[in-house]
Amino acid sequence: AGPPSTRQLREAEEAAPVFQYAGKAARRKDRVFVWGFSYSGALGVPSFVRPDAGWKKPRRIQPTPYRLETEEKITSAACGYGFTLLASNTRDITKVWGMGLNKDSQLGFQRSRRDQTKSYEYVLEPSPIPLPLEKPQQTRVLQVSCGRAHSLVLTDSEGVFTMGNNSYGQCGRKVVEDEIYSGSHLIHQLKEFDSRVVQVVCGQDHSLFRTKKGTIYACGWGADGQTGLGHYNITCVPTKLHGDIAGVNIIQVSSYGDCCLAVSDEGDVFGWGNSEYLQLASVTENTQVNVPRHLPFKIGKIKEAACGGTGNVVLTEEGNVFVWGYGILGKGPNLTETAVPEMIPPSLFGWSDFSPDIRVAHVRCGLSQFAALTNRGELFVWGKNLRGCLGTGRMEDQYFPWRVTVPGEVVDVACGVDHMVSMVRSF
Amino acid sequence: VRGPRFRKLKIGAGHRLDVKASGVFVLGIGHGNKLFTELYNCHLTKVYTVGGLFGKATDDFSDTGNLVEKTTFDHITREKLERILAVIQGTNQKALLMYSNIDMKTQEAYELAVKGLIRPMGKSPPIITAVRCLRFALPEFQLEIHCLHETQQYLRKMVHEIGLELKSSAVCTHVRRIRDGVFTVDDALPRTQWNLQSIQEAIWNCQLKVETE
Repeated sequence: AGPPSTRQLREAEEAAPVFQYAGKAARRKDRVFVWGFSYSGALGVPSFVRPDAGWKKPRRIQPTPYRLETEEKITSAACGYGFTLLASNTRDITKVWGMGLNKDSQLGFQRSRRDQTKSYEYVLEPSPIPLPLEKPQQTRVLQVSCGRAHSLVLTDSEGVFTMGNNSYGQCGRKVVEDEIYSGSHLIHQLKEFDSRVVQVVCGQDHSLFRTKKGTIYACGWGADGQTGLGHYNITCVPTKLHGDIAGVNIIQVSSYGDCCLAVSDEGDVFGWGNSEYLQLASVTENTQVNVPRHLPFKIGKIKEAACGGTGNVVLTEEGNVFVWGYGILGKGPNLTETAVPEMIPPSLFGWSDFSPDIRVAHVRCGLSQFAALTNRGELFVWGKNLRGCLGTGRMEDQYFPWRVTVPGEVVDVACGVDHMVSMVRSF
Repeated sequence: VRGPRFRKLKIGAGHRLDVKASGVFVLGIGHGNKLFTELYNCHLTKVYTVGGLFGKATDDFSDTGNLVEKTTFDHITREKLERILAVIQGTNQKALLMYSNIDMKTQEAYELAVKGLIRPMGKSPPIITAVRCLRFALPEFQLEIHCLHETQQYLRKMVHEIGLELKSSAVCTHVRRIRDGVFTVDDALPRTQWNLQSIQEAIWNCQLKVETE
């Protein structure tokens, strides 16, 4: 009778049931997000290419991050030119999944269901790649890397596995005349290095291997000097690099197009390969450099470097990002080329008086895009927005770092030519 | 001649302040009302301290409303809260750039973005420029929020949404504006000083600030 008094309200409140949505043991989940051009199958969502209902239209471009369901936790991902590799460091038999273009067997042999002898040319869903391991239940896959038409898989005890196109020897085996790469079962294993391989990197048509001792091996196409071996011919067997990096302990190497960068433990950066876009113009006027040269930049100790098709980016110990080269470098539309590294102001990455401890933690490069990850787990992208690969939701090019809204904390990102894959931890 | 000095006063109000909220409230007297249009066009940020309480959800997002749901909150840590605040800042930063109606491809857009001066100069939905957690003592917490074009109800809704993101629920206990453009709590007059003398002094002190704007 009448409106409830304060005491009645309080009692009703106390008697109300309490809901529990997340207990103390709630764990953060690891997720994979993809975005970019989907018709090649590189995004791994078959309904984008072949819709499951008649009235739905195929989605050519996914402009914002889309969650990809995976069976296992993915620890390493790599984007090639129209295909993607996902790897997990599990001890199960299936460790690597691939999707996208498979015209050169860069994803191994994917047995077609219609014809048992033929392989799929386009793989639309993450499909397991069978690796010829001696101990499949003990070996772990540490890292994967993809180039234009070949891919490398790094394991912890069984060396490096290569598959795909070998017309320039980039898979580390002898070039066979008129070899047909499509539908090939051949996966080559590389074990002869001076010590264990800890990082593999694919350039466009060459491969680089970094060992625990800090040396670099290369094989593949060398017409731009990207193998760094002192000549411009192709190399079929991984050979050790000398030049300015002889005797230097290299802690990171990077390449995506035809230029390569290596970072030593003392914070120096070395470069070799294509220099048509002023990437190495600080040391030489040549457009091709076939021996690693030290790049004398006075910007501080360098922690990480990433190479794109025409532009390069480095990250220093203080957390500053420097870019140089050609293209959309991230300092507005006026800066299109520079031979000397230019710093991108940290305020563009969210640094302000309010949050002064924001720092860029990693930098990655696609063919004409750049990506930076901050220590708070935010992802910033800039560069040419080819077929929606930046993930901003817009189709225009981005001239300065722009945040990508991802529902979670971004742990790692892999950039390709027209798509990107990121590994995210949920809140 | 005798009689009261002022017979009729024209008083205008600045940015709206709710019945349940408190804090700095700008008033203009007489000719000062004409400065209000310029104040609106400046689009300066306002700073609020917002207090919240975890574990309850009500229909009007404050602690005096009808209860909708009660939830547990012992899994919430300061770290998780700060992560959510970082995401809120990020999305609002994007909204800031998008609603400012500047063409992103120009060099001048880049220069403004570096200095952090991009802001919407016209009508826009509420945008939060910065958030910070001041105090965190389960079940209550306090945030400092810098925002543009907002209403207090939007801030209460924001507290509710933070609760949802943390897989629990939250209500807002109090909202207090501590800064409105250039006027801060130090310039404002508390209730005890609502007499003519203090008003005159306060207007005199603020004149300098108003002129520089």
